[in-house]
Amino acid sequence: MPFDATDITLSLVKISVVLAALLNVTPIMVWVERRGSAYIQDRPGPNRVGPLGLFQSFADALKFILKEDVIPEQAHKWLYTLAPMFGLLPALTTISVIPWGQPFLLPAKRMFGRTFFEGGREFEPIVANVDIGILLIFALASLGVYGIVTAGWASSNKYSLFGAIRASAQMISYELSLTLAAVSVLLAAGSLRLTDVVAQQTEYLYLFNVIKLPAWNICSPAMWLSFIIFGISAFAETNRLPFDFAEAEAELVAGYHTEYSSMKFALFFMAEYMSMAAISALTVTLYFGGWDIPYWNEPGTWWSSLATMLFFGAKVTALLLVFVWVRWTIPRLKYDILMRLGWKVFLPLAIVNIVIVAFFVAKHWI
Amino acid sequence: MFEFAIFFFFAAVAVIFALVVVLHRNPVVGALALVASFFALAVMYVLLEAPFLAALQVIVYAGAIMVLFLFVIMLLNLQHQHEEPTRPVQQFLGYSGSAAFVIGLVYYIVKFGVFAMRPEGPFNSDAMHIGIQLFQAYIFPFEMVSILLLAAIVGALLLSQRSVAR
Repeated sequence: MPFDATDITLSLVKISVVLAALLNVTPIMVWVERRGSAYIQDRPGPNRVGPLGLFQSFADALKFILKEDVIPEQAHKWLYTLAPMFGLLPALTTISVIPWGQPFLLPAKRMFGRTFFEGGREFEPIVANVDIGILLIFALASLGVYGIVTAGWASSNKYSLFGAIRASAQMISYELSLTLAAVSVLLAAGSLRLTDVVAQQTEYLYLFNVIKLPAWNICSPAMWLSFIIFGISAFAETNRLPFDFAEAEAELVAGYHTEYSSMKFALFFMAEYMSMAAISALTVTLYFGGWDIPYWNEPGTWWSSLATMLFFGAKVTALLLVFVWVRWTIPRLKYDILMRLGWKVFLPLAIVNIVIVAFFVAKHWI
Repeated sequence: MFEFAIFFFFAAVAVIFALVVVLHRNPVVGALALVASFFALAVMYVLLEAPFLAALQVIVYAGAIMVLFLFVIMLLNLQHQHEEPTRPVQQFLGYSGSAAFVIGLVYYIVKFGVFAMRPEGPFNSDAMHIGIQLFQAYIFPFEMVSILLLAAIVGALLLSQRSVAR
């Protein structure tokens, strides 16, 4: 593998952009969630710290840092400390194979009569464009359950343990339907690489041969079932209401993180919002055309690439708002209904859906 | 050079965590160490230019099977109870068996030069090639495995139903 300074610099730039975006998701989303819930419940919400309460997240972060870090006497010290890190790791890494903008050729950079950069190199806004793309996401996401399970077990608290056991059962069940629902998109794209999935969606399709629609997967009727299954399973995978059994406040105090305090609790909090952002980005890539701007043939210059990046960010933000909206609208399901829904409804539907989509792909209807 | 550094680091991780699985008294720590060991093994697959296998290794073993193991351990809440000391015959068989295995392994590595071997021709390990191979050249073993799994599912159903009827 040949290395050169430009490659390394570009990779570092991409990694810092993605990391900065992800780390900023948590404070902003906490503010959105608190203000949004207040708006939905017709009360003011946190509006004292800064304009519109925007600095509330800084106050929260300061409080987390200054709080005493308590480790229960009965807890397994090592695993208790490691568990929040296990939880954060998949949330931070899954975003690395998702493309977040249109590639463009880097222009040559000349200053003071010297060539700093020769140009002619393509800047691909994706941290790692690997063959197995989406499989890597599912592999890392399947490790996300260890953070919760380890936390619940290491706390030596019965509520934590119940939360952990529920979470692991739920995540195993819904991972299956999530993966099988995504298979239909991969069938249409004919590749596991997420840049190929996006490239297939940048074209156009004609409804009744008249209405021109962007060829996003959400626009083709064969993908609707898969989108519904994927969307609902995404809520279950991120442990959000109506599927937040891992922490169900009314039954389990706070579930798997009952015993956690200070920054360790904050890490769980961050992991929740980051995995929300990651799964929103994945949903946008699979069903909403990724960075594609509809009805505009991006010329592939740096400014059009920047526009696609901003548009991608806007799509992800819209989905994150849907997450908040759903959380404060729909009540929690019963636990047995959740498991029955996962195994007896979504799993068979997802398998049938694969057969249908495969038929469509074989007939070249997609 | 860089690949060798990665190889030795993750090889060490895999071996150390495998030792933790065997030697640690706490079953939950053992299960988590096995996950780490599997993950290090997946890195080996990536170094062997088989990223598809690496992803499957993590999804199937680390992500699905070990979660079930952990689930069962936590549900049963296994405590380390006092075990009977092993018999001398068992000890002799265990030690001699593992010694024979280590000697055989070292002999194999030295004699056939595992580090020097390279596969002939282009090495295709992406999803498409594996899929085509599975459904053409290896269709019979593939179907046999699916029948085996079906039998296992039916057996599990039967066992769980019988316990309900009582």
